[in-house]
Amino acid sequence: MPTNRFAHPRAPGGRAALPVGLLAGLLALAAGPPGAAEEAATYFRQNCMSCHTIGGGRTVGPDLKHVAERKDAAWLEAFIVNPKAKLDAGDPYALQLKEEARGAIMPPIAGMTPEIARSLLAFVAAESALPKSQFAGLEVTDEPFAAADLERGRALFRGGAALANGGPNCLSCHTVRGLGGLGGGRLAPDLTKVYERLQGRRNLASWLQAPATPTMRPLFVDRPLTNEEILPLVAFLEEAARAGGEDNAPTQPTFLLLGLGAAAVGLVAADAVWRRRLRAVRRPLVGGRHD
Amino acid sequence: MNVRSQIAMVFHLDKCIGCHTCSIACKNIWTDRKGTEYMWWNNVETKPGTGYPTKWEDQGEYYGGWEVVDGELRIKSTSRAKIVANIFHHPHQPSMDDYYEPWTYEYKELFNAPEGPDQPTARPISMVTGEYIDVEAGPNWDDDLGGSPVYAANDPNLAGLTAEQRDQLAAIERLVFFYFPRICNHCSNPSCVAACPSGALYKRGEDGIVLVDQKRCRAWRACIAACPYKKTFFNWFTGKTEKCILCYPRLETGQAPACFHSCVGRIRYLGVLLYDADRIEEVAKLPAEELIEGQRALILDPHDPEVIRAARANGIHESVIESAQGSPVYKFVKVWKLALPPHIEFRTLPMLFYVPPLSPVMAQKEGGIVDHVSDDLFHDIDQARVPMRFLANLFGAGHEGKVRFALAKQKAVRLHRRALTVGDVSPETAARALREADCSPEEAEAIYRLTSLCTFEERFVIPPMHREEALEMMADPMEVKQATGFGFVAGPRRGS
Repeated sequence: MPTNRFAHPRAPGGRAALPVGLLAGLLALAAGPPGAAEEAATYFRQNCMSCHTIGGGRTVGPDLKHVAERKDAAWLEAFIVNPKAKLDAGDPYALQLKEEARGAIMPPIAGMTPEIARSLLAFVAAESALPKSQFAGLEVTDEPFAAADLERGRALFRGGAALANGGPNCLSCHTVRGLGGLGGGRLAPDLTKVYERLQGRRNLASWLQAPATPTMRPLFVDRPLTNEEILPLVAFLEEAARAGGEDNAPTQPTFLLLGLGAAAVGLVAADAVWRRRLRAVRRPLVGGRHD
Repeated sequence: MNVRSQIAMVFHLDKCIGCHTCSIACKNIWTDRKGTEYMWWNNVETKPGTGYPTKWEDQGEYYGGWEVVDGELRIKSTSRAKIVANIFHHPHQPSMDDYYEPWTYEYKELFNAPEGPDQPTARPISMVTGEYIDVEAGPNWDDDLGGSPVYAANDPNLAGLTAEQRDQLAAIERLVFFYFPRICNHCSNPSCVAACPSGALYKRGEDGIVLVDQKRCRAWRACIAACPYKKTFFNWFTGKTEKCILCYPRLETGQAPACFHSCVGRIRYLGVLLYDADRIEEVAKLPAEELIEGQRALILDPHDPEVIRAARANGIHESVIESAQGSPVYKFVKVWKLALPPHIEFRTLPMLFYVPPLSPVMAQKEGGIVDHVSDDLFHDIDQARVPMRFLANLFGAGHEGKVRFALAKQKAVRLHRRALTVGDVSPETAARALREADCSPEEAEAIYRLTSLCTFEERFVIPPMHREEALEMMADPMEVKQATGFGFVAGPRRGS
């Protein structure tokens, strides 16, 4: 039986043993042994902290302090398990949340179950009762970033410097304007405007602490960015947004043309390298004759 | 001295009548399978002519064989570096068009055609695509000088001939040609073996037959480019290379290879040669004019006690040494110096030798009357219809001396026999000719017997192959017991 009661489904042995583990976890939480709260905190850090604080004010998502006083437990539990269903059903409070978050909606969390949701709510309630929660949010200065931070952020983004915990550099999947060359990866969204989308340093920094989207989460859950990396990255992305302009979609045809050009050069080079290849012997000898 | 035994061959070109029986015998046994339609492990070419595949002798086109670069032997078509650079494209591959596109005929049209004013015809169909084709080439398209303004005129061996000689070759009532049957030479320095990146080709230790391991062949086709005689072929169906196997299953049961067995003109001789494997590289690097003599020196005297002792030490069976002592090939190549290797300048040291053709003038047309030539029955060698230069390009690495010697000796033997049996040549003339050709009357008699009166047993001195000894070192000899028959022990498949 896994000892981590909030085992992520991808964790070894997690999938099959999860219900048993959860049951044990819930029982443990109800009884209140010290380990249970720690595991809930880890789960919160990995999945919720990127958008929520407890008593730190709104970031992308609302402050969760005393959330149980704002809405009843059944609604919250259903919303956590499947946020999209509530929105699709036209639930007025869910729509209001979306409005407040300027259109950002809560992503579904892989492996979320009503049991986990209940234990999370219990954890949030417990944290709300504290004078200062450990999830009161990141303090980010309002001072302009130093040029050195900017440079370091650029290096981290482009892969010039490795990430301390071994995560992949942003460039592998993302691009921003002004990267030069062929730009960055095109698997994931262009990050030129991400600073504006997330509305500022604090939200962006919080988000980077524990990226929660289905694609980012598995990559960074075990290899989180450190605070020394987050701030330069925020500086870099802030600068990218400030430089303004549109996302650099126009590089796409450039890429295609470049590819075609390279293919043509390759063919010409191959022809040059193998110019003495055997083309035909009989046909040139016979010429146009058919004898 | 590292003595090895090799099953070697001699083809006597003056005896070849160009009937292609050998080619058909081979095709019926070995290459009538899918993917092998275009292969002729044995083919008969007309010389002058461009042969099969077209102009195979022109290594400026095909890059076959070896060259000496800075005192090192190098394969012309590839190298360790080139094999990587050319991994997806070998630049020296002949196309099917350079061989020919094999075809059959739609025979059913001969029977199913509706009644009409015309004869029904069977149209040719490609055996590769199954489509109707216009036949443009065949494996002996230039047979008997067919299409000679294109084919014979482009024979690479014409290099160095004067315009006058070229004209005479093609002049009506003077034109001359001879036949040149070819199989794999089972060379002692095979470039196909050296070029194979998979190590699929090997020269069998006990008899020197060059074979392709169908399980190890990976379709690189490096051997096809590297063989200057173009005698390895790519089976487009199995994706493996195939080549002449010298009918080793027949040899192992004491029978001559099919092409030898079926030869109508009895031109083919087969027997064991003992040679010194330690000196192969040294000989292959000799200057062109020394190659023939070098290769002869490589071949060891099977009567020499020193050689016999070294052969025994190398595990060569007593019966093989005995067989080597009776080998007709040893006599033709080493004792009489009549047989010469084809294009030894390719430096693969072929183990198939040719007795160059004398092509004597037997009759002449004088004022509308065909008359036997008796005064100068056997023409002056240097005034022969086939220019010496041409034969030297083919059999002497461009040098005439060895070819002239072989022809002079043949002529002397003929004069000797003519003096004995017909008497229109004086004994003095015959004796002088023998002296000039460095040939004793006893040797002349022996040459005559082995050329003209030879029996099956004299032509084919096949050693016991002792496969039981070779096999027990390699694998379980019972592995394929009761699994006999033609074809593959395991069916070859692409990628397997």
